[in-house]
Parts: sequence; C-alpha cells; structure tokens
Amino acid sequence: MRKSNILAGTLAILLTSITTLALTADMKPAALIIAQGGLGDGSWNDAAIAGFDAGLKKNGLEGRPIESKDVVGQGEEIMRRAADGGFGLVISLEWLHGEPMEKLAPDYPDTDWVIMNQTRKGDNLASIVFAEHEGSYLAGALAAMVTADTSIKGINDDLVIGVIGGVKAPGIDKFIVGYIQGAKSVNQDTDVKVAYSDSFGDPAKGQQMAKAMFDDGADIVFQVAGGTGIGIIQAAKSEGHFAIGVDSDQDGMAPGHVLTSMLKRVDVAVEGILDKYATGQFPGGQVVEFDLAQNGVALSEMTFTKDIIPGAYLDKVAQIKSDIIDGKIDVWDVSTQGYPDFFQ
Amino acid sequence: MADTTLPANALMPLLDKSFRLAFPFLVALAVGAAILLIIGENPFDVYALMAQESFGSLRRSSATLSAATPLLFTSVATAICFRTGVFNVGVEGAFVLGGISAAFVGFTLPVYFGSAIIPLAFAFAALVGAAWLYIPGLLLARYKVDEVVSTLMLNFVAFGISGYLVNGPLLSRESGNNVTPLVHEIAQLPRLLPPSTLHAGFIVGLLVVAAYALWVKRTPSGFESALVGFSQRFARAVGISIPATIILVMVLSGLVAGLGGGSHALGQLHRFADGFSPGFGFTGMAVALLARNSPLGIIFGSILFGALASSGTTVQLFSDIPLDLVNIIEGTVMIFAVVELGRITLFRRSVRS
Repeated sequence: MRKSNILAGTLAILLTSITTLALTADMKPAALIIAQGGLGDGSWNDAAIAGFDAGLKKNGLEGRPIESKDVVGQGEEIMRRAADGGFGLVISLEWLHGEPMEKLAPDYPDTDWVIMNQTRKGDNLASIVFAEHEGSYLAGALAAMVTADTSIKGINDDLVIGVIGGVKAPGIDKFIVGYIQGAKSVNQDTDVKVAYSDSFGDPAKGQQMAKAMFDDGADIVFQVAGGTGIGIIQAAKSEGHFAIGVDSDQDGMAPGHVLTSMLKRVDVAVEGILDKYATGQFPGGQVVEFDLAQNGVALSEMTFTKDIIPGAYLDKVAQIKSDIIDGKIDVWDVSTQGYPDFFQ
Repeated sequence: MADTTLPANALMPLLDKSFRLAFPFLVALAVGAAILLIIGENPFDVYALMAQESFGSLRRSSATLSAATPLLFTSVATAICFRTGVFNVGVEGAFVLGGISAAFVGFTLPVYFGSAIIPLAFAFAALVGAAWLYIPGLLLARYKVDEVVSTLMLNFVAFGISGYLVNGPLLSRESGNNVTPLVHEIAQLPRLLPPSTLHAGFIVGLLVVAAYALWVKRTPSGFESALVGFSQRFARAVGISIPATIILVMVLSGLVAGLGGGSHALGQLHRFADGFSPGFGFTGMAVALLARNSPLGIIFGSILFGALASSGTTVQLFSDIPLDLVNIIEGTVMIFAVVELGRITLFRRSVRS
C-alpha cells in the first residue's frame, strides 16, 4: 500500500514536471530525432544539432534531441510518443522516417512535422529539400576554370572533368546536371564525363572508376556517391589529381586533393524551420527548398586549396553565385523539371 | 525447525531462479543510479519515468513488446547453441541475411500471390539463415574450426553481402538512400494493436519460444544436445554423434535467426535498409545468458531489454538523460548475467550444506 502510494506520488510529480516543461515556453517544445550514425558523426547529425540548439536559443524555445540505437525500427514509436507527449514540432533527420511520418502525421493535427531530402504530403508536414543543383553548378563552374589552368599542379592539358553518381536516379542527376551546366557556362568546350557506380558503399569501386576517369584525361572528379565517394577522393590523392566532395565538408579527407565540397547546410535548414515555427509561420504542406540565397547549399571554405586556386576564379564563382541568387542564371532542377535536352 | 523450513525449501528453486534473473538487473540499476547521482539527477525520478515509458500505458507497453520482438528470435537462436556448448556468435549475421532475403521475396514476388507471399518470405529467410550457419557448423564438426572465430568473422561477411545488395542490385530506384523497395502491402505483417508498431511477428516469436521449449523438454535431439553441452565425453560414451548434434543446433539456430530477420523486415520496416539491425543478435546473446537458456526466462529477458530500448529512447523527450545511461545499464546487465553464474552456484551450495 505504502509502496504504491510512493509510486503514485512519484508519478504525479513526474507528470507535473512534464507538463511544466511543455508550458514554461509559450510554444510547445520541439523534438529533433537524430539519424543513424548518431551524435558525434562529425557530419549530418552534428551539423543539425548545432542548428537546432542555435534555433532554440534564438527563439526562446524548449526542445530536445532524441537518439536511439534502433532509430530505424523504432522511428514510428518515437514520433508518436513525441506527439502524444505534447511536442509541437518534430523534426526527423532520418531519411527512413519519411514513409511512417507521412502516415502518422494526420493523427496528430496539433503537431508540426518535418522530414528531410524527400517530398512527403500532409497539411502539417513540411518537406525540406536542398537546392543541390545550384551548389553543383558552382562546383562545375569552378572545376571548368581550374581544368583549363595547367599552371596548377595536377592539371593536365585536356579540358576534361568528371562526375560519378551513386545510382542513375533523378535525385542524383539533380547534382550531375547542375554540375554539367555550371561547367559549360564557363567554357562550352569542357568535356564532362559521367559515370554511375551503382553503389553507395563501395569505396574500392569508386577508386577504380575515378582512376579510369583520370586515365581518360579528367583531372577533377565530383563524387555524388556517398561511401563509394571515399574511394574517389583516395584516387584523387594517389593519382595526384582532384576530387570534389559532397554533402559535408570533405576537404580534409585528402588535404590539397579535394578541390572543394558541395555542402548541404542542414544546420541552416533546421534553424530556419525553428524560426518559422516560433513565429507561427510553419510551412505545413509545403516543400521548403534551402538554396544558395539562404546558404542552404554552399561550397566549402576550401581550407586546403584556396591558396592554389587563383583568386580570380574564386571571384568569378562568387559572381556566379550572386547571379543565381538574383535570378540572372537559371539552374536546371531535374527533380522538378525532368531531364534537359543536353542530358538525357 | 523442520516444519518451518519445509515450505521454504519447496519455494526455494523458484525464488532462486527469479533471484538469479533479477540480480544482474538490480546491480545494473544500482550502477546506473550511482552514475545518475554523479551527474546530478535523482535516480528514483529517472527510473520511475523509465518504468512509465516502458509499461505506463497500453501504448507504451506495446512499444516495449514491439522492441522486444526481434530479441525473442535472436535469444532463442543463441540459446539453442549455448545449451549445447557451442558458442555461436553468428546470430546477428543470420538475422541480417534473413531480413534481406524476406524483403527480397516480399517486393519481388508478384502481388497476385496474395498473402501467400508471407509464408514464402519467411521460408526463404529461414532457409538462408540455416544455410548460413550450416557453414560454421560444418567447419566446427568436421574440421574443429573454432566456432567463436568463424561465426564472428562470418558476421562481417554477412554485413558485406547485405550491404552490397542494398547499395547495388536491390537498391530502391526511388531514392538516393541505401534501402530496398518496400514489400507489397499484402506481404506486410498485420499490426496487433494499431497504431502501435507491435506486429504479428511478436506472435511468431512467442511460437518460436514455445517450439524451443518443446524441443528442449520433449524431443530426443533436444535432450541429446543438452547432454553434449553437459559433457561431450559422456555424450559420446552413450552413443550420441557430436558432429551431427553440432550441425543440427547450428542449422536450427540459423533457421530461427533467419525467421527473426524476416519478421523484422516484413513487420517492422517493410523493407531492408542500412541500419536494419542495431545488434539484435548480440543483445539476444545477453538475453540467452541472463535467462540461462530457459524459455520463460527468454521471454522475460527479451521484454526487459525491449523495455530498456523503448523507454531509453523516449525518456529523452522528458528529461536530460542521455542514451549512454541506457547503454551503461544494458552493458552492466550483460556483464553480471555472466559473472553471477559462478557466484550464485557457490552461494547456494554453502547455504545448503
């Protein structure tokens, strides 16, 4: 009897503390579900949590990150628990949560839902995508300028650059088409070799394919192939040429041999969504694109290569960037426009 | 004196058993409490919150059972070998291969097969799992290749194979991510208490535990394998074939692990994906050790670890407790599950003499 009283008392205290958490701020708290790889991955999750913390602080919001060893299998339970527990905004960084989120969001009309890198439907669900075509356009433009400058060590006489995609799919060709368009904008004669590794987790294959491209006259290869791309960067180092990294800053993987990296700024996106949520402008039912203008995609700082790339090229890239932002340059987006004539 | 001790003696085995089950867990809670005190949290609050998040409502209880489901399979798969004295640590690999096999059948077979896809997918998963662990079974039985080494290494091969398939030939064309297509809707296991993710795989898991209990208690081969585990010399002396027994338990273990992967693919994820198993095979080893291979203990142990996994995650919504605490509790349970075996036996002997 006494035991159960104590238990009931503890539960009561606990429940009150839960409610106070939800009520101390004007807004209901936000939850950020950490993707596979967990915190400390030095990449996607760590960038996102930085944006999350900054956004919470700036907007005076309460919020919590949630990690799970089985984030894939338990995703739906986690999301439902967050909504049941009074969270007003649930952001998932895990790609696999898109499908269950789309199904469960209608059950929780008072909670706002956010998924990344895909388009999902729902009045209270926002899909965040990144304008990878714009960032890739800049990477292509820079590569086309560098490949024409034989004074740079590792650059040959041929006007040839390359790109290796993980799989032939619109999500990947979005990068590739932007890259080709950017390269051609600088010099129409630039030859861009395209190949697909049909794998995102095979560094050995990436290395082989990149080596073949280098042997074929390319001196810069853009990797859009996840883990396979690690091999592409290794090949750039061993062959004395250049790779271009993707998603996170990969410049440090082979210092001096990664020309730049095309970054997806998930921190910017998470912070931006928190701003919108806090001001009551949550973009439910919309696809929110984070582009060059919002710094949602960007080229890396080029920590190891900015000294070997002539300043004029970097100025030109900055110019192209502002032209894209101003709408003077239209970059082709395969994910919304389909395939262009120059790339089928 | 005699009449007071008699009923106590009758209760003794049961008490003893539940104490043995509970002891590692209590130690782990104490270790966790010490850490919580150090980081300035009240252990009672945290544990009460965890209890509430594990079993506080029907919704949370079913989330716990959902998290326990894969463990029912992996712990039975482990126990089958452990009680025979075969230290098979390859359940994880068989589970993963079973998962990708079932998913493959689930999205490849045409929809007009209807719900017959489910048993076919399960059968294929079981077959692949059984064939997979037949390899180290044969190596051990015929060539005395140490099973710890071979099964551990085969796990990496299994991860390599499944990783290659999901990143290449079986990759879903609709996404840039490392996932297979979804299995047909008709091939998905029904949910027991929607909207909870608890699915029919839980029932299959319970049936597997029941079949295991039957095998242990009622079949000659179940008895013989226990004898082999007890003493190989003795088993050989009474005419039991050691190699045949080893191969049998390895194949059975792979079969159950494969079924588990199938259940997880068809019921929980509806596809195969990178990150399919966070180590269910290894947690299953802890459950089997904790349960001393007893069927009832396996059910309780699986639910216990399921509770830790589900509450350990959602508790982060309502407190500042990091996931690491749950990992510490799990790890401590595992250590003391093994360590206590010797001590308790000693303790019992001294009490009885």
